[in-house]
Amino acid sequence: MTEKKEILLKIRDLRIEGYSDEKWIEIVHGVDLTLRRGEVMGLIGESGAGKSTIGLAAMGFARDGCRISGGSVEFDGLELTTTAEEDLRALRGNRIAYVAQSAAASFNPAHKLIDQHTEAPVYYRIRKRMEAQEDAMELYERLRLPNPREIGFRYPHQVSGGQLQRAMTAMAMACRPDLIIFDEPTTALDVTTQIEVLAAIRDIVDQFNTAAIYITHDLAVVAQMADTIKVLLKGNEVEEAPTAEMLENPKEEYTKSLWAVRSFKRPQKPRPTSEEPVVSVQNVDAAYGPVKVLDDVSFDVYSGMTVAVVGESGSGKSTTARVITGLLPPTTGRVLFKGEELPPNYRSRTKDQLRQAQMIYQMADTALNPKVQIHEIIGRPAQFYGGLKGAALKSRIDELLDLIELEPAKYFHRYPPELSGGQKQRIGIARALAAEPTFIICDEVTSALDQLVAEGILKLLDRLQKELNLAYMFITHDLATVRSIADEVVVMKQGKVVEQGPKDVMFTPPHHPYTDLLLSSVPEMDPNWLTTLLEERGVDNIGEAADK
Amino acid sequence: MDYFVLGYYTLLIGASCLAAYYQQRPIFMLLFSITLVSFVMGIIGGKEALWTTTVVAASIGLAAGTSYGFREFLINISGRETQKMLRTAPLTASFGMFIIFTYAIMGIFAPVIAPYGEAEVIGGAFDPPDENMLLGADQLGRDMFSRIVYGARNTVGLALMATGAAFVMGAMAGMLAAVKGGWFDQLMGRTADVIMSVPSLIFALLLLSIFGTNLTVLVVIVAVIYAPRVFRLTRAVAGNVVVMDYIEAAKLRGEGTWYLIRKEILPNSTAPLIAEFGLEFCFVFLLLAGLSFLGLGIQPPTADWGSMVRENATLISFGEITPLIPAAAIALLTVAVNFVVDWMLYRSSGLKT
Repeated sequence: MTEKKEILLKIRDLRIEGYSDEKWIEIVHGVDLTLRRGEVMGLIGESGAGKSTIGLAAMGFARDGCRISGGSVEFDGLELTTTAEEDLRALRGNRIAYVAQSAAASFNPAHKLIDQHTEAPVYYRIRKRMEAQEDAMELYERLRLPNPREIGFRYPHQVSGGQLQRAMTAMAMACRPDLIIFDEPTTALDVTTQIEVLAAIRDIVDQFNTAAIYITHDLAVVAQMADTIKVLLKGNEVEEAPTAEMLENPKEEYTKSLWAVRSFKRPQKPRPTSEEPVVSVQNVDAAYGPVKVLDDVSFDVYSGMTVAVVGESGSGKSTTARVITGLLPPTTGRVLFKGEELPPNYRSRTKDQLRQAQMIYQMADTALNPKVQIHEIIGRPAQFYGGLKGAALKSRIDELLDLIELEPAKYFHRYPPELSGGQKQRIGIARALAAEPTFIICDEVTSALDQLVAEGILKLLDRLQKELNLAYMFITHDLATVRSIADEVVVMKQGKVVEQGPKDVMFTPPHHPYTDLLLSSVPEMDPNWLTTLLEERGVDNIGEAADK
Repeated sequence: MDYFVLGYYTLLIGASCLAAYYQQRPIFMLLFSITLVSFVMGIIGGKEALWTTTVVAASIGLAAGTSYGFREFLINISGRETQKMLRTAPLTASFGMFIIFTYAIMGIFAPVIAPYGEAEVIGGAFDPPDENMLLGADQLGRDMFSRIVYGARNTVGLALMATGAAFVMGAMAGMLAAVKGGWFDQLMGRTADVIMSVPSLIFALLLLSIFGTNLTVLVVIVAVIYAPRVFRLTRAVAGNVVVMDYIEAAKLRGEGTWYLIRKEILPNSTAPLIAEFGLEFCFVFLLLAGLSFLGLGIQPPTADWGSMVRENATLISFGEITPLIPAAAIALLTVAVNFVVDWMLYRSSGLKT
């Protein structure tokens, strides 16, 4: 971090344009960036801030439909914006490497990991194939992958997501590049897996003294990784400062709002004593074919309350939702709705039973039909269940749009692809509300959204709950969300309920060991958090702890 | 060296210089290579070769000009969304649309356009073209031009009906199979396999000789033969749509199968289906023409391009191009439809920038 180190990457007044609606629109408006050897810079901002675009421009690359329209990108004395494509290709993968968000999508599923790993060094004649394989195994070991000598000979689908992301990092290291660009490498991972990957990345970047640009929207993560942080907003730089300074003393309003985003918290409600639960899941077992995915799951949801179901991916959270909605009939056990047993299959449920329980999906993109206008999406449940028509239907749609804080006149005739992620999610909420339900399942509703937008959605859901006395089942892997809106928490692991209870009890020790692991894995804003945590756990058994 | 040759070279060289001056590299390269080729052709083939080149170039230019004009015309008369779409259309696509438009006019107003009836004998067999008969007479002395015009109505109309029927059957079955799944899917899939495993022309001949040749039977048979292809495509496309969350949401709402198909699946699979419609139309058209050529399709004296090729085939040995005219009509429509389909495929594949 000393100022004497040689400058590796110098970006000056970088302007990038994107092609849309038959004209070029500037999306990055003159950003400067200076990166020295061995330094890690965090780029942070909401989606659409231009983080990834700038990251790619650091390799002299612009996505299809984008072009670098001005400014300079100087890598180790070489001006990339004017360099010929062949020379750039010789640089990429060799001296500058890129680690993409989804390792699963970036590996070629038809080749073994090690073959993909050795491709670049062999192509650039840095190493012979056998040497490169040997080197790959060594890197796998340094990244603490299990069975480093064998794991390379597996295909991408045969290893887990966290391992794949680490193998991808190893691959980026194959030519010992001067610069690595990490584009949200842990965003798609569970908190417990995220730690392994973060620790591995940090170690290897330290060991080889590689410079890195770390792109993320998660502040707590970037605090662990970066030496300096640059905050971006809509293609403009907001501010840049060393990590510690940035965390303690952000200067700009926007940065402060990013920092304060998790401040939303609502008081916890006690469970009503006399009332019957709205939904009661009783001793449910469920299976996909011969594979058992739920094992004796029981919990209750009371009206006006939020039950958060947390756990890693594959823990059976979403499957529980499928059992409640009737998409997956349970093998044993039953689901009660206001004391009445629901038919296990949704096809045999009555229209009213279907109406009472609604669902909001994680991916608003796939949850809304892209070819249907907003008023029809929202209006259909009202028309279908309530039999509303003509003017009554229109006023109901307007009312619903008002409820989700979208201007009726403006959005009535729009199509979903014309809306932003947060607006789409609001439409998803409106569609659920249109049925006038008493119980809503929220399946990871905020995990695909930026933090500021996610907070808006959470506030909206909370307001609606108060106004309409709704019961929520909130499926999430994000414990910060749980902290902000849950009344009760159910922790699931491998199809079993590990622990459940009111939020305040769940968040105060002592915990079940798994709850403890989950809680301690949530990144905190403290830049020393990862180091401390690794020391506490003992570096070598991170993997074990996660597998337990 | 006469004025024509002089003008020919002056125009080419002048135009290439202009193109070069305005930095239009591809146009310059094209024009100048034509100039160079013309030098050689002029020496070998003389003035006639240059005339041919001029005529070919002029007709290509005319076609391009017509396409350009037709596209501008369409842009002017259509709504905003369609306008945006049409602006991105290449000239080949608007050429295709122009040809299809012309054929449609020809088919719809056949009795008005054609000077004689399709079965009317007005001259001697194989009479050469004169002021009464634009393209001469066929083997029975009927006016060739009138029969071509009526042929547009009969052949294209029949092909359109057969393709439409194939689409209604195939697409419905495909979407139902995708929604229902299970045994219904299996049943439909295997039935489609059985039909597709028999070569289509042989199968058509077989069925036609069993059920006899009349128009209804012809349409139904061709539709049945082509429906499985549509079924397979629709099922694949719909299969990608039914796994979406909005389908799950609709199912959980308690919506019926018909609503799912009509409102949720169909709007999301129209693009590939329209593209497929164009392709299938060409195949059906060629199959029908082939059947007519073999004598099992549309029966005389109804004018039909396929049988017209066969009936006048003998003329080919006398160096007449008459039998080639209906063949060219078939070829032109096929090419035109494919131009339009190419453009639609390009759009639906998301390659547009």
